[in-house]
Amino acid sequence: MDMPLPLIIAQIINGLIAGSMYALFASGLTLIWGTMKMLNFAHGEFFMLGGYLVYYFYAVLGLNPAIAALLAVGIVFVLGMLIERVVIQHLLSSPVWQLSTIIATLGISIFLQNVALHIWGPDFQNVPYFINGVANIFGIRIAYQRLLIFGVSVVSISLMWFLLKHTRFGLALRATSQDSDAAQLYGVNVLAVYTLTFGISAALAALAAVMLSPIMGVNPYMGLSPLLKGFVVVILGGLGSFSGAILGGLMLGVIESLGVLYTSTEWGDVIAFGFLVLIIWVRPWGLLGVEERN
Amino acid sequence: MAAQAEPVLSAERIRKAFGGLEVLSDLSLNAYAGESLALIGPNGAGKTTLFNIIAGAMRASGGRIMFEGRDITRLRPHQRCHLGIARTFQISQPFVDLTVLENVEVAQRFGRLGRDRSGASAGHWLERVGLARWRDAPASSLTLGARKKLELARALATEPRVILLDEVMGGLSPEEVDEVCAIIRELRNEHMAIVIVEHVMRAVMSVADRIVVLHQGRLIADGLPREVASRPEVIEAYLGGALDDAAAG
Repeated sequence: MDMPLPLIIAQIINGLIAGSMYALFASGLTLIWGTMKMLNFAHGEFFMLGGYLVYYFYAVLGLNPAIAALLAVGIVFVLGMLIERVVIQHLLSSPVWQLSTIIATLGISIFLQNVALHIWGPDFQNVPYFINGVANIFGIRIAYQRLLIFGVSVVSISLMWFLLKHTRFGLALRATSQDSDAAQLYGVNVLAVYTLTFGISAALAALAAVMLSPIMGVNPYMGLSPLLKGFVVVILGGLGSFSGAILGGLMLGVIESLGVLYTSTEWGDVIAFGFLVLIIWVRPWGLLGVEERN
Repeated sequence: MAAQAEPVLSAERIRKAFGGLEVLSDLSLNAYAGESLALIGPNGAGKTTLFNIIAGAMRASGGRIMFEGRDITRLRPHQRCHLGIARTFQISQPFVDLTVLENVEVAQRFGRLGRDRSGASAGHWLERVGLARWRDAPASSLTLGARKKLELARALATEPRVILLDEVMGGLSPEEVDEVCAIIRELRNEHMAIVIVEHVMRAVMSVADRIVVLHQGRLIADGLPREVASRPEVIEAYLGGALDDAAAG
């Protein structure tokens, strides 16, 4: 089966754009795993809330899309910190916290889905494009909205990288990830690091949804599929590795969109999970993860 | 160098039990500015447990910890660090994915003077312990001896008033032991209160102004090094000939 080259290139570009969103979503998940060593099953619902909030501020109230986006991300950031402070923080000190945080975040996930269902109903809601029009780059046509998605993810991932590498908070976060007991003894307020990290993670999920909602629409269950994909990306890249999540996200996006060329869309998940199985067969610790030795 | 009237740090009637096992019983201890105090005793005497309780990594079952006249028993570890309590770990555990410099930076930027950045730079502390040329190396690449020095640099970078040194000399070469002893004497002259847990008796006898002996969670001797070292019950029951030799030599 011969494919014309421009089509392949177009699909690679589409894959990178979709992958940049996977990367944004998954970097939030991996940040939580890296710092707090817990899985956040409510991550998809922070995504969903980001989508509904931008729908509300932009499509319903008619605010400027940039302001609507900032409001949506900001609200989810605060909500994330609140949930960490009220629910998660108490569980982390219990001896069975690995299990209790999973159950608690699953509970939060179901709760938030039902809140959305109650407020906005079960139907898909549409969000208009933030910018209309199509760019023509060397004969490849890409909607401005998609270019905007890619631009926003490059900027926000760069900002995250700067935050982690070059700020006081980033240093605290990296020290906490490696040894929270030692970090405390050297003056780091670990509980405050947890709260802020959780908020940032939720905000990253919300930002991904804000950017994707004009393409995907919003509904109460829109967080489920990204959560599964997010876990794939995080495991692919190496649990807790920020750059691994970026690499894994981009790879997954490209593989999915190339796969669509040769098979039908329904096979997308099969290809994604098949790829994951293959990678962890060869490198059980992920692409950029570190092998644990005993 | 002599003990001043007011202790910087006091552990008052500290009790610690793990289940039915009492590790510390009614233990009281004072640390004074400008004094180096050595805490000695056999393994399992409760020395590291006491350090954990003072630094806030563990809660005592009873008693209280006073710092500069203030009850800090309920403060969290990072708050105690901000007041000026630092400790090193017996088994050194650097942040292995950070560079040597970054390891010290964590302590420097979050320690007692971290907020207003009035303290010495992280690089200064690396120089002081002799690790300056490893500053950009990953901490995981350091040898055991260098890791011990990194522990010391990290603790110092928090700008403590009281420093708890948990076997910083174990695994060091004799020259390195002398270097660390020299640093400890300097710190004492800078009016820091120093509490040392150490098995290298030569070092203990060389830097300690006062020695307390812990046995089964109780304080059984407290006095000047030679005086404590010459007590027959201490020598025979808890220290064998090691202290005797060191005191004589």
